[in-house]
Amino acid sequence: MGQALRLAALTADGAHHGLAVGMTLADARARCPDLVTAPHDPHEDAKLLALLARRMGRFTPMVALDPPDGLVLDITGCAHLFGGEEALARLAMAEADLMTRPALADHAAAARALARYERGQAGGDEALRIRALPIAALELPEASLSGLRRAGLKHLGDLAGRPSSALAARFGEEAVAKLRAILGEAGSPLAPRAALPPIRAQARFAEPIGRTQDVLEVAETLLEDTARQMEARRIGGRRFVLRLERADGAIRDLAIETALPTREAAPVVRLLRERLESLADPLDPGFGFDAVALAVPRHEPLAARQTSTQGDEREEESIAALLDRLATRLGEGAILRLHPRDRHSPEKAQALLPAARGLAGRTQPPALPRPLFLFDPPQEVSAIAGVPDGPPLRFTWRGRAHEVRLAEGPERIAPEWWRHPLGHLPDTPLLTRDYYRVEDGTGTRFWLFRHGLFEERTHPKWYLHGLFS
Amino acid sequence: MMPQAALSAAISGPSPAPQTGVLPSLARGHLHEIHASADGWAAALGFVLSALGPAGEQTIMLVRAKRSGPRLLPCGAGWAQAGLDPRRLVVVEAPDALGMLRAGLDAARCPGLAAVVLETWGPLPDYDLTASRRLVLAAERSGALVIVLRGDAPQRASAAQTRWQIDPGPSVALPGQAPGYPALSATLLRRRGGASGQSWPLQRSAWEGAFHEPEDAEQPTPLSGAVVPFPALRAGDQERAA
Repeated sequence: MGQALRLAALTADGAHHGLAVGMTLADARARCPDLVTAPHDPHEDAKLLALLARRMGRFTPMVALDPPDGLVLDITGCAHLFGGEEALARLAMAEADLMTRPALADHAAAARALARYERGQAGGDEALRIRALPIAALELPEASLSGLRRAGLKHLGDLAGRPSSALAARFGEEAVAKLRAILGEAGSPLAPRAALPPIRAQARFAEPIGRTQDVLEVAETLLEDTARQMEARRIGGRRFVLRLERADGAIRDLAIETALPTREAAPVVRLLRERLESLADPLDPGFGFDAVALAVPRHEPLAARQTSTQGDEREEESIAALLDRLATRLGEGAILRLHPRDRHSPEKAQALLPAARGLAGRTQPPALPRPLFLFDPPQEVSAIAGVPDGPPLRFTWRGRAHEVRLAEGPERIAPEWWRHPLGHLPDTPLLTRDYYRVEDGTGTRFWLFRHGLFEERTHPKWYLHGLFS
Repeated sequence: MMPQAALSAAISGPSPAPQTGVLPSLARGHLHEIHASADGWAAALGFVLSALGPAGEQTIMLVRAKRSGPRLLPCGAGWAQAGLDPRRLVVVEAPDALGMLRAGLDAARCPGLAAVVLETWGPLPDYDLTASRRLVLAAERSGALVIVLRGDAPQRASAAQTRWQIDPGPSVALPGQAPGYPALSATLLRRRGGASGQSWPLQRSAWEGAFHEPEDAEQPTPLSGAVVPFPALRAGDQERAA
């Protein structure tokens, strides 16, 4: 690759502008000055390919990855379901919704070679097309390919007639093996991605059930069944969905989530009970539920647990179970943790975020005194300061006057001008705050600020932002 | 300062006149009620948090209900300065008072929490004797420290172990006429099986640490020379480095 930046992929009209994969970025920009580029991310590409492979599972269960940018589908026996091979290919291209080049052939290696190396319009007998492929389709090292070209062999058809022993002696066994795979003389098996079956359990009843207690008991049985499936795969469930099918066909889904993966039935049943109790419109069994199904759509690895003699782990789990229960009852947005933020304004330097978003980072102890609590929003007070830059002498908050006995400040906190589109201009509308830590006669310590310097505003307002302990 | 009454005398029965005795701590496994005003909210919580003891890792849970008054948010930097890792804090916001009491009861049953603080405002009719008894039972079984913080509320009969009134107190001024370290005044309104009515002025000699009574504290000597704000926190001072 050298040191130059090279193009890894182009859009459809790239070739029209004279660009090609492997061209250096400088050359490409010279040909096409307004070229739009994005960094090549092979990791994301691989993830996208895996996602695409899962979606192709709609057409056939045998889908293999052909990295870096291809998929091989074995559609033997599936084509008639979609109206023929050509129709299936068109549907697959539509499903992929990317620039794709399909090819159909009797053997996987042949299809792959046709898709990648066929030039010109596809047409004619398949065998003829394969023989018309350039020798680059063999994907041999450049030395071998140039050797073949010097020998005057430019297409696979030229090679097909030659004795394989001669080819093997000159260019290696690999070349012969690949040739035979493409021509169909040797098999080219696929290694399909095996999709893991979803974790599911179902129960059907001869007589419909209606009582909540019965539903929960059935749910517990289903949970034990799924626990066995999950134990075999060493995973624990994070999201559980209980589907209740009523006798008249109506379906109701109850979903619960846990913070830690779990295989145990008891905590999930407790959460289901919480969910049932906190439903906005209560469960109406009608004539009863015919079938109850449990699915575990979201799971995470969970090793087999040994009961620990330490108390710490049990405490952590009981706290996690408590938070799960409260989150199920009150909603995920009701359980909050304090996260530090890299912001300049004191009220933005932390945020209360739902606990499900993960743990917070460390907070450094501040250099200057900070209150224990902040008012959200800052409370407007009327204050009188002795000197323009000095602390207030007295202020009134919610109708009560406070005489300032001790004061410290100002701590000047500038506005986050870098976040404002016009913040860097001299006549910006943003105001600087001067913070003062004051104590009144009774001993209450307040954190006040004056919103705006006297140069910025003639009558700046004062606000109470926090309380110290 | 009046002589400190012996602990046994304090337990044996109510003294004829309220004298300063030994400050009872907020014991785990019990329910404690703390009355405070809106101004003294931070002081009350500072009192609770200082009773949690030195550096621990256990979760502190604040349970509150949505209310119409001004919203108080914990300030991460302030908690870190007080010696508490803000990561220990979990805030539970219930839609109403009943939900808050239920959530608090569930939390009180959990053994692994450092403290459960129910922040309540106003008279709160749902918090009656039965509710407080349930909290007491839950605290006894799990060994959790359960605090009901009653803001702007009249006293009501309850099964709590202790009932306090916490007000902010004047602090010892730092050089430059600056407000000093946290100080408050704690009054024991009621104690189950013990003397009550005493009051203690408490203060701290640093941003973090436990509250103590004034005679135990060394008087901070004022710096000589020109006094400027933030004398101990000049740029370059390594004392406050993380």
